[in-house]
Parts: sequence; C-alpha cells; structure tokens
Amino acid sequence: MKNASRKSSITSSITRRKLLKASAASAALAAFPAPLIAQTKPFAGVTLHGASFQHRFFTLLQKYIPEFEDQTGMKVDLQLSSFPVYNQQANLELSSGGSAYDFVNVTFILAARWVAAGLLANLDEFTGDANLTPAEWNPKDFVDGAQVPYRDAKGATYGYSWEGGAMLMGLSRMDLMEKKGLKIPKTFAELQQVCAEINGTDGVSGITSFQLHHWNLPPYIQGFGGNIFRKPPGDIMPTLNTPETIQGIEFYANLLKSAPKGVLTYTEDQARQSLLTGRSNIFIHSSSWVTPILLSDESKVKDTSRVVRSPAGPVHDYPASNSQGLGIPKNAKNKKAAWEFIKWALSPDISMRLVKEHGHSSICRRSIITSEAYRKLNTVNGQDLGALYLEVLELPGKGENYMAYRTVKEFPIVGDVLNKAFEQVATGQLPVKDAMNAAQDQAVAALRRAGTQL
Amino acid sequence: MSESGIDAERRSFNVWALTPSLIVLFAIAVLPAIYLVVTSLTPFQLTNPGSATDFSSPLRNYGLLPGDPRFVNSLLVQAKLSFWSVLFQVLIGMGLALLLNVPSRFVEFARTFFLIPMVLPPIVVAVIWKLIYTPDISPLYYAAQALHFTMPALTSSVDFALTAIVIADTWEWLPFTFLMVLAALQTIPDEYSEAALVDGASKLQIFWYVTLPFIMPILVISGMFRLIDSVKAFPLIFLLTSGGPGTLTEVTNYYAYLLAFDTNEIGYSSAVTVVMLLLVCGISLGLVWMGRRREALA
Repeated sequence: MKNASRKSSITSSITRRKLLKASAASAALAAFPAPLIAQTKPFAGVTLHGASFQHRFFTLLQKYIPEFEDQTGMKVDLQLSSFPVYNQQANLELSSGGSAYDFVNVTFILAARWVAAGLLANLDEFTGDANLTPAEWNPKDFVDGAQVPYRDAKGATYGYSWEGGAMLMGLSRMDLMEKKGLKIPKTFAELQQVCAEINGTDGVSGITSFQLHHWNLPPYIQGFGGNIFRKPPGDIMPTLNTPETIQGIEFYANLLKSAPKGVLTYTEDQARQSLLTGRSNIFIHSSSWVTPILLSDESKVKDTSRVVRSPAGPVHDYPASNSQGLGIPKNAKNKKAAWEFIKWALSPDISMRLVKEHGHSSICRRSIITSEAYRKLNTVNGQDLGALYLEVLELPGKGENYMAYRTVKEFPIVGDVLNKAFEQVATGQLPVKDAMNAAQDQAVAALRRAGTQL
Repeated sequence: MSESGIDAERRSFNVWALTPSLIVLFAIAVLPAIYLVVTSLTPFQLTNPGSATDFSSPLRNYGLLPGDPRFVNSLLVQAKLSFWSVLFQVLIGMGLALLLNVPSRFVEFARTFFLIPMVLPPIVVAVIWKLIYTPDISPLYYAAQALHFTMPALTSSVDFALTAIVIADTWEWLPFTFLMVLAALQTIPDEYSEAALVDGASKLQIFWYVTLPFIMPILVISGMFRLIDSVKAFPLIFLLTSGGPGTLTEVTNYYAYLLAFDTNEIGYSSAVTVVMLLLVCGISLGLVWMGRRREALA
C-alpha cells in the first residue's frame, strides 16, 4: 500500500515535469519554428545518392561522411566503381535523363560533352544564393585552370574540382647527373641530351614512361606547335599528320630509346617504381605519381631527387594538367541536399583536414595550396612542391586553354588511334609519316562512323 | 498403362522439369543476345542520346565492317592466335598424355600437377605471365642475364608479342587436350598393340597405325572445342599487351571491348560481336556435323 502510494506520487511528479518541459518546448517552437529546425537536421530522412570512380579522395572522404550525416540528418549513399565502369554508367544515366544520382563525378574527359549537352545543373544558382552558400565558401578560391572544363561558353559553372593533376618532371639520380656535369633539362633538346647521356650509366635508364601514350604524348606534340585537333573545342578535325605532330611523335619515340626494356607495356605503377628505386632517372607525369620520390617512405632516392617543371618545347611550354569535379545531374531529385554535400566535401575545412590528417595534396583550392600548413607539408629539400603544382594547374586557365583537346567527346576515339600509331612508330613497324598518315585517315573515318560532322 | 502412355508421361515430366532451366537460360543468354543484335542495328553511342533507338539505317554498321582495317586485322590476328595455340595445345597435350599414360604413383601425381594451369582463374594466369614477361622483375630475364643472353621485351616486341600470347594460352589450356587424350588412350584395348608388337611393329608404327586412329576423333573434337574457346583469350591480351604493339595482338573481342568501353561506340561494337558470334556458331555447327557424321559412319 505504501509502495503503491509512492509509485503514484513519482508518476504524478514525472508527468508534471514532462508536462512543463513539453509546454516550454511548444512555446519555443511556436516562437521560432523554422530556424530551429534548420539548425538541427535540415535534411533528415533524405538519402543522397552519388557516384564516382574509385579514388583516394573518396576513400578518405568516406571517413568524414558520418560527421556530415550527423550534421544534416541525411544519409549518403556513395557508389564507387572503376574508372571505365563509372564513366559508362554515368554517361548512360545522364544521357538518358535519369535521376538515379543526386551528385556525380564530372569526369575531366567527359566534362565538355556533359556541360554542352545540358546534362548538369548550373551551380551558379547555388553559389549565387547567400542562403545556400555562405560567403566564406568562396567559389573563386578554386584554381581557375582546374575549373575551365566545368564552365560553359557563357562562363556558367557546372562542377567544382576535387582533384587536380599537374604534369611535373621527377629526377631520381641527380648524383649521376652532377658527376657527368649535366644540368636539369629545361628544353626538349636538353631533355633528349640528358636522357641519352644517363641511359646505361650505373644500370640506370634515362627516362621511364607508361602505356597511356595519349596522355604522355600531347605535351611534346604541342611543344612543337602541333595539336590533336585543329582548334578544339570548336573545330575537332584531327591533326595527327601535320609536320608539328610528326615532329612531336618522332621526338617522344626517340626519347623512349633511353627507357627501360618493355616500357611500351609499362603500367603507371611500374614506371613510378622504376623512378622510386632509382632504376630510371626521369619520369614526367602528374604530380601525385612523381612527387613520391621525395615524399614516400618507399623511395630509395630521396636524397638524390628533384621535382621540377617539365621541359618546354621550342614553340610552346604546355605541361599537361587535368582535374575531376563534382556536379549535380540536371534531373537530380535532391539538388539542394546534393549541393550541401558538395559544399561540405569541397569546403576549406575538409580540404585542410585531408591535407593535414592524410597528406593528401591534390587539392584544387588556392587558399589551401598557398597555406602555411600545405607549404610546410609539401616543401621537401627546400623544394616548394605546392607552388610547382599550382603553377602548372593554373596554366590552361591563362590565355589559350591548351587542354581543351582532352575534354571534347571526340578525344577517346582519336586518342585510341594515336596510341596505336605511336606504338607502330616506336617499334619500327612503320615510318612515322606513314603511321601518322594512316592514323589521320583512321581517326577521320572513326569519327565519321561515330556520327561526328567534320 | 500402355508403353506410349508411359513415354508421353515421361516427356511431359521432362518438359516440366526442364522449363525453369530454359526460362533462366532464355533470360540470361537468349535475351541479351537478341538485345545485342538489336543494338548492332543502331548507331548507339553513349555520348549521343537517342542513338540507341535510331533504326534509320539498320545495316550501316555491318556495311562499315569490311572497310575497317582494324576489324579485318583483328580477324587475322585471331586466326593466327587460334591456329598456333590450338595446334600447340593439341600436339603438346597429346605428347604429354602419351608420356603419362603409364600406371605409376609418380605419374599420377604428375598428371594432377599438369592440370593446375587450367583450373586457375584466367586473370591469375595473365598475372603470372605478366610477371614472367616483365624484364625488370622476371626470373626468366634474371636467368637470361646470368647466362649473358640478351632477351628482348617479349610483350612489346614486334616479333614476339603474339608468340608470347600463344605460349601463355598454350600453357593455360593444354591440360584440356591432355586430359581428353589421356582418357581416350585408356580406352584402347592392350590386345591391339600387343598383337602389333608380336608382328614386329616398331613403337612408332604402333603409334601411327594403332594408337593414332583410336585417338584421332578425340584430337579433332578437343581441337575444335579449343578453337571455339580460343576467342576468349581476352584476359591475356588485356593484361599482357593491350592489343599492342600497335595492333599486332589486337584480336576481335579486344577490339570490340575497346569500341564499347574506350570509345563508347556500343552499336558498332555490337556489330563486331555479332560477327564473332556467327563465326563461333559456324564452328560449333561444324563440330556437331562432324559428330553426327562419325556416328553415321560407326
């Protein structure tokens, strides 16, 4: 009986307490309804679907996604596939006007086509709205060269870059070069000389490379004044047999005579390994492949290495660069939620955390690249790798966009023909002129077969 | 119940029992094949919305094929690769089977050992040969270096690239012919060779006049099976040479892959694949015809 009365008194006191709390909450809600909700879980119940190809950036980002989910209340379903598989899926999804994804990776080589075909949402609508994008997010902070592929002819933005690749030259055996009195090559002619003179010394190859010739070759072709297309993106007539292109191909084929045996079938990993172990002296590729000679624990040549700008051609100094962006499909169901994710993923805060906590350096935000923390982490042996990276990444945004050849939808077809033709030249199957004349005919025929008006 | 009644009941049971399998087979094999043929009648390009349903010129892709030097070249490369790899697989498989057709524990172990390459996943086989053919990490090249012998880079050499694929393909699949021939050898009654031996026949004569006629049908059938299968050498080509140098090892299925996955020409790639499918069907029909002819002669 005693117990029963105590129980009843506790129940009544809880009920009173609860009632008071509930009344206070109701009053607060009545006074400030919307802001309170907005500050807590504005996207509660939303599942955001996104897709990209597998990349270290996303693997790292996935560690932070639970924080984003906590902040916003939404669930992020991020599908990562291999590069070719993702591109096929995304192409099909966007071309057919699907709405399966709320955000997608805007692949560099497909960006121009997706932007021109109106398959992506105009992100200026989000960055232009102060309610959706705070001023400190600062869209202009993204390196201009990396942003070029994601703009249309009128300058509207359809993607923001999360990764940049800037072509640099790594030299692993400066000790050998110094012994021979060789300086770091700054021109194509000097590069040729250094490679030939080092090749075979101490069992070291002059240069290494890998089988993706349509990435490695164009800087040489452009360096001699040639190009892959006449004037991309407007005029996409292939120019594979011009004297300048032939000169570039011939030069690169000669350069590879100083490369390890079997270099034509080398993968990027094999080439990097060859550089990291000092078996090859020079490797010219995106910074993330070259800078490990200075930064990686695997490197056996840290003390004898340098990373510098790749040499300039007699006509142009056009080191290759690329970027990957995040964008929102035009028919996405949750555009605002998708923008929230992009804004968060590419925020200065997350970018800096990627740099500081994981040493991830291929960021496209100028404020991060020029920050003290980034500089500190990326300055090795007195070399400011960040400054080099930024310099190369900026180039296509200054004056002529010389990387435009790579973002037109015709490039994969012509690039494949170029790969095959170069191998024929490098292995002596055909003289360079014959190979490139045949390549030109094949490229034109293949483009026409694909329905391109030339 | 009458005998014909029992037959009808059995037929009915068989039809019902087979129906689920037939439905699955139809869904996973016939429907995609139909879709492949339909797609081959369009200029379908992933980068060109609407092209998947453009049937305005249905035979355009097929009309372009004879004038495509890479397609024609890919058929020739496939023919060369198939001829040499099947020939070696049959000859070496037969040789091994003859050598290992003796009752012994060691030989039994050796037989098992020779079957390993065939049971490995194709991509593992490709990786093994990639290691063997990569000059800076390959034991083959270390050995050559130790013997002061300079070896070219096999997979990027004009003279050796296709041979390198033939060697790897032969290594992978000769256990199949070996197993088939060994099974055939074990069905030959001993009396025939013993009688020939009594008549003074040499070992070579016994092989030529007694053994070979017995195993010949198996040799032909296993060769035909391998011929059909040889168009599937994709992992080796993909990992070892990527069709290169140039187009020297670019077989038809690799070309179709490049068209579909590298250059997004799905319609044209489908036409290439349909032609390949027809060629394989032709060989299969030949195999069936040969089997029936043999039964009729027997």
